[in-house]
Amino acid sequence: MKGRGGRQDLTLSQQLFFLRANPIIGGAGTVRANRLTWQISVQPTPLARSYQADIAYSPGKMPTVRINEPDLEYLAQGRPLPHVYTNPLRLCLHLPGTEDWDSTKRIDQTIIPWIYLWIYYFEDWLGTDDWKGEGKHPEDEREDPGNRSLRRAIAQS
Amino acid sequence: MNQILRNTLTDSDIRRRTQIFSILDEIGEDLDLTETQFERARQSYGAVGDWLSESTDSLLVSVSVYLQGSSALGTAVKPIGRREFDVDLICLCAGVASGIAPAVLKEAVGNRLKEHVTYARLLEEKKRCWRLNYAGDFHLDLSPTIANPFCVNRGELVPDRTLQEWHPTNPRAYKTLFDERAALQPTFIGKHIAMQRDEGTVEPFPVRETMKGILRRIVQLLKRHRDIFYENNTEDVAPISVIITTLAMQAYAYCVRQHVFEDEMDVLVETIRMMPHFIDHPILDGRRGYAILNETTHGENFADNWNKDERRAPAFYTWHAQALSDFEALRDAVGQDRLSLNMERSFGSVVTDRVLGNRVGAVSDGRKSGLLSVAPLIGLTTSKAAASISVPANTFFGDQ
Repeated sequence: MKGRGGRQDLTLSQQLFFLRANPIIGGAGTVRANRLTWQISVQPTPLARSYQADIAYSPGKMPTVRINEPDLEYLAQGRPLPHVYTNPLRLCLHLPGTEDWDSTKRIDQTIIPWIYLWIYYFEDWLGTDDWKGEGKHPEDEREDPGNRSLRRAIAQS
Repeated sequence: MNQILRNTLTDSDIRRRTQIFSILDEIGEDLDLTETQFERARQSYGAVGDWLSESTDSLLVSVSVYLQGSSALGTAVKPIGRREFDVDLICLCAGVASGIAPAVLKEAVGNRLKEHVTYARLLEEKKRCWRLNYAGDFHLDLSPTIANPFCVNRGELVPDRTLQEWHPTNPRAYKTLFDERAALQPTFIGKHIAMQRDEGTVEPFPVRETMKGILRRIVQLLKRHRDIFYENNTEDVAPISVIITTLAMQAYAYCVRQHVFEDEMDVLVETIRMMPHFIDHPILDGRRGYAILNETTHGENFADNWNKDERRAPAFYTWHAQALSDFEALRDAVGQDRLSLNMERSFGSVVTDRVLGNRVGAVSDGRKSGLLSVAPLIGLTTSKAAASISVPANTFFGDQ
């Protein structure tokens, strides 16, 4: 399948190859039953906790990112988490249906650095109640009829 | 040299603690006089000195004005809720014999200041000194002193609280001693040094060199902690700055000579831990009293008031125990939010927000300009690291 801008979609094996070959990120994973999974530990700065992240990706969908350890909701102590999808809890790292991410992009060069960034702003938010990483929420553009593709993309995720 | 026995630190602990010290260093810098403020204070007191020395009053024939206290030592701390720094000056009237009454000399200095149109307007009389209020930046507190003929260390005499008697003091020798001790370099175990060498870029966001040295930062941080700890206390029993400074410099010199350290946070916490050991307990009037002596002259006990007001010594020990435990918690904090909460408790939320907010701002700026990357071991960085992946643009999204 052709991706945007004439670039080829990356296959799961290619994604896995890039993840394994990347000397910066570490982690381990597999491709099974047309599904890529990758586990890594992410510490955005030496000050931060170390977070265990699970990435899962199937063709035609967006990669999903869950944090297994530590428990984000426990850390938030009852405050609603910023920039997540709920049920189940996943990080919202990019705006669906935009150039941020599409299937021609490498997970090790997009999703993973964004996990670092998300956790960095998350720990700051825990201390300050102020999300300084900016971003969008569905209600920001509720009145915009051109937003349908966005909602569709979320529904798919 | 002894290495203090405790659990071995992992490389990741050392990286974390190095960053915590660097943040505390930024707190110290934030609370300090700026270069501009310092320069303005220098010009102002230079001018005051000139004005006093041009007086025809025989008491002021060989007068010299110099900085003393925290602004001379490099340990100034912005007061809470007020913009003006205290800048302490000594007005040494070297030609005056010790027979003169303190009140007479103080009055002579005051009269000369009143002859100047501007100073007359800025002038405020305090118990032992004259204050010149420079709105917005600082005020100069000018204490008249005379030479102390009995001090072999070129000490001086300053009016006591009641302006009745002269008290020995020696700000110049004190500063020399403090500077000597501040220049002592701690010895670190090999691991820390090797890591610093291997990871020249360990500091994720470029900050300037620590010019101050560790001792000055320790004193600043402790004074700020004291200010916060006693912020809502109206009893006026908080330990005075010269006591904190004196105990810290003695403890620092002792620790640096005796121990090998893991890192800067180790130096900081062990110095604080040792401070009470430098309080003497002489027998005074048949009971055990307290002495924190000025090592640079005879007869100046900084803890004099502890022997007159029995609330003061416990006030010091209570504060010190809290400070030690708070600095240990800062050293051991894992997670930016934990550090941030500990910092707020120790130094107040305003300076904490400013310093941590600047760091988050540096990440966000790097993100916008495409300079942010992820490097092994240090994570997000705006420094150019050999092996790193850049963080591409994204927009965080979400249900909530």
